[in-house]
Amino acid sequence: MSIVTVQLGQCGNQIGFEVFDALYSDSHCPQGLCSKRENEVYQASCKERFFSEEENGVPIARAVLVDMEPKVINQTLSKAAQSGRWKYGQHSCFCQKQGSGNNWAYGYSVHGPRHEESIMNLIQKEVEKCDCLSGFFIIMSMAGGTGSGLGAFVTQNLQDHYSNSLKMNQIIWPYGTGEVIVQNYNSILTLSHLYRSSDALLVHENDAVHKICAKLMNIKQISFTDINQVLAHQLGSVFQPTYSMEGSYHYRRNPLGELMENLVPHPEFKMLGIRNIPQMSENSLAYSTFTWAGLLKHLRQMLISNSKMEEGIDWQVRPPLSGLPTLGKVSLNRELHFNTSIANLVILRGKDVHSADLGGFKDPALYTSWLAPVNAFNVWKTQRAFSKYEKSAALVSNSQFLLKPLDTIVGKAWNMFASKAYIHQYTKFGIEEEDFLDSFTLLEQVVASYCNL
Amino acid sequence: MPAHWTEETALKGRGHRSLGRRWRRVSTRSVIGRGPSRDGTGAVIGRWDPAAAARNPRKVSASCMGRRRRRVDRGAAVGALPEAIAALSRTLPAGPSPEIFRRAKFDRPEAAPALWQLLFRVLSPLSANGASAPPAQGEPPSTEAQVRVVKSELHSQGYPRRALAQLPEDGSQGSRELLLALAWLLARGPLLERLLAQTRVRLGDEIPLCECEALASPGPPVPRVEADGPVDIRHLQWLMGKLRFQWRKLITSQQEQCALLGKIHSYTRGCHSDRSLGHLSVAETELLRDAEGGRQLLRRLESENVCLEAALHWRRQELVFWRWMDTVLGTCPPEASQPTFVPRIPEKGAGEWELVARELQALQEELRGAAEPRRAAWEARVGGWGPEWSAVQRASREAVGLELAALQRAWERGGAAAQPHGPCRLVKSDAGASGGPGLRAAQVIEVLRSREACLEAVLCQLQRQCRQELARLAGALPGLIWILPPGR
Repeated sequence: MSIVTVQLGQCGNQIGFEVFDALYSDSHCPQGLCSKRENEVYQASCKERFFSEEENGVPIARAVLVDMEPKVINQTLSKAAQSGRWKYGQHSCFCQKQGSGNNWAYGYSVHGPRHEESIMNLIQKEVEKCDCLSGFFIIMSMAGGTGSGLGAFVTQNLQDHYSNSLKMNQIIWPYGTGEVIVQNYNSILTLSHLYRSSDALLVHENDAVHKICAKLMNIKQISFTDINQVLAHQLGSVFQPTYSMEGSYHYRRNPLGELMENLVPHPEFKMLGIRNIPQMSENSLAYSTFTWAGLLKHLRQMLISNSKMEEGIDWQVRPPLSGLPTLGKVSLNRELHFNTSIANLVILRGKDVHSADLGGFKDPALYTSWLAPVNAFNVWKTQRAFSKYEKSAALVSNSQFLLKPLDTIVGKAWNMFASKAYIHQYTKFGIEEEDFLDSFTLLEQVVASYCNL
Repeated sequence: MPAHWTEETALKGRGHRSLGRRWRRVSTRSVIGRGPSRDGTGAVIGRWDPAAAARNPRKVSASCMGRRRRRVDRGAAVGALPEAIAALSRTLPAGPSPEIFRRAKFDRPEAAPALWQLLFRVLSPLSANGASAPPAQGEPPSTEAQVRVVKSELHSQGYPRRALAQLPEDGSQGSRELLLALAWLLARGPLLERLLAQTRVRLGDEIPLCECEALASPGPPVPRVEADGPVDIRHLQWLMGKLRFQWRKLITSQQEQCALLGKIHSYTRGCHSDRSLGHLSVAETELLRDAEGGRQLLRRLESENVCLEAALHWRRQELVFWRWMDTVLGTCPPEASQPTFVPRIPEKGAGEWELVARELQALQEELRGAAEPRRAAWEARVGGWGPEWSAVQRASREAVGLELAALQRAWERGGAAAQPHGPCRLVKSDAGASGGPGLRAAQVIEVLRSREACLEAVLCQLQRQCRQELARLAGALPGLIWILPPGR
């Protein structure tokens, strides 16, 4: 089953490139630490999912590139072509001469309807190349103009045209200290629209990934490429093939479907976050060894203390004693120490994966009262190592991790809205105050739902 | 010839009591023993069946002859009975040995487990899905579960004997009752044909045209899980969402299957020896690729042949079995007659329909007579309520009218085009080649579309009702804001 990726805007296109590159390099990595035969099946599975074949044997990414400025798309295309290992399809991109100027309304109400037909045609051509379409992976920023506004528009169209296909939006949460003044407006509009049309929102926070680059990768001058590579690594560690069940050597056919079935069946809880371990520079990797017990202990503590990386984990946070009313869950004003999960999916890759003990993730205290661990926790495994890591673990979690950032963004946007700042920039292009109010209502509801788990 | 069968036939001669019930059978082949036997001694033969006689002159002569010849015939029957039962056993899934049947006649407990299991296999709704694999996948259900399924399934099919329902659930007893139930099932309908059709080896790519059979058998009873306390609505929403995702996954994999089938059909065009088919099916393509699969298929075909031959054999010999079953019935205590519940619409004569129609008409008139004075009284009472009331009345009359019209449309649509049933072989033919036998995909699509439209109309109506109910609830709590869930 195949996934069609839609890369939108500068951010979406740059990340999309890194994702395909990570997927390709991993599946052709000689250090897979498994038999040749198994490696071939793994490669074939990855390829069916993300690439289609052209005559001369170079895999072509199942992707559609959309931007309103030609610069980034041209860079992306040539970077892929230069790699010589894989490339984008010749007729799979759409670009224009003029951007959206960080105005969500312009992307959504002007660019969207104007180019709807061309973009949807491109997507349809890509869909027709798949024997079987599992769904769409839509990569976009949350706070800008083109990626977020047009992205919300395209997602809505996909929902109308391909209602049975799955839609996962990979969205980039802006830096808390972003320089775009209307980023909070753009963010609430993006989130509220996606909440209506998408099945899952996979969120990456720029701040968190930046810290990973600084602390774990020891990068001094952090560029967007560094950040995007970390992000692509995390996505690859989730979406590369895994065994379809315990003891089986067949690879899972529809990971997107199973992931969603496990994590986001409830229409009010669609926010997903990824954590992974270990994450380090290649130099350090050569001198490190890991045990499953150690990795999983850290990963669990990262989950419950809501830390995005291995370093600086708060080991004081403990799950609430079961049977007692959970204090930490009650109020937002009180600091959230313990991160309650709705559902978790752990993905383990590497040596002796069958010996890994996941008991720590099956503790009912980690989850809400209305979902037992047997429904809330799942694990995917493969013996095939991922991208030079002898052992690695990733965690996709539907939890309270975004509650604070979301509440902050909604609060800031509300303050601006209350003083009617910059609203005319949006009403000018057909996004009315009523639309803002609808967005606030919806997101307040989401905040409340996540708060009262 | 085993000795005990001789002893068995000797037992038959002891006459039998008048039976409350007789084997009813549509087939003319086995009309033996329809009425109470007229002579108290020679119960084995029962009534002479002219149809069977015409087919089997040798037997006719035997049964027409005098006492001496009859004894000879009995001797032949002694051999024929175990043979007939063996043929039946070979036809049934996991059929037990003839010895089990013999013991069941004497209600011996050691015969019970095998018969419970046989009836479970025969009745199990799982086997109705047309899968060629045996229904018992994974863990076979416990004996208690099997017994419960057999009892409830027989009850739902209208099996009248209460003695069976009272048997203990450990499956240790009741072999004679089970034998009677099996015979009842055999006599009642095309049981063997259905079973044989289910286990048929399928070479073509088949597609079920309607789901009516799947809908008719509700599947094994789902164990009820009692919630410990109040159920959180979010848990239900979660499960509902999960179900939705599974639906979408199912649709995706069906689409994939269609795409792949299409590929196989177009790649193998002109390969089939049968010109009218023109291309290979999945099973046939698999045979070309995998020799071991071919051997397995051969084995399956051979065993299916054995089954079919056994079925033919049984058809020729079942007469003997039914005679013997009469004696089985004779050995068991009669039950007080009770109304038999038969869920199928019995094929009755036109006279009976008229009777029912007249009765219905009478009832309708009675109803009208009772309702009209009441309505008049009611209208007189509310007459003074003014235009508001008449508006409400008009609205509800309109709503009823709409619903009635929708129902009528649905009925006409369902009645007009006889919906195609059963599995069909999928064959891809050239667009130009029209006509020819078989169903066109377009026809099937049309039927499905109209069915979809009907279902959608019903869904819309239900949704409207829900919305009205929600609006009513929202109106009842003025301080509350209702926020509809996003999406989906």
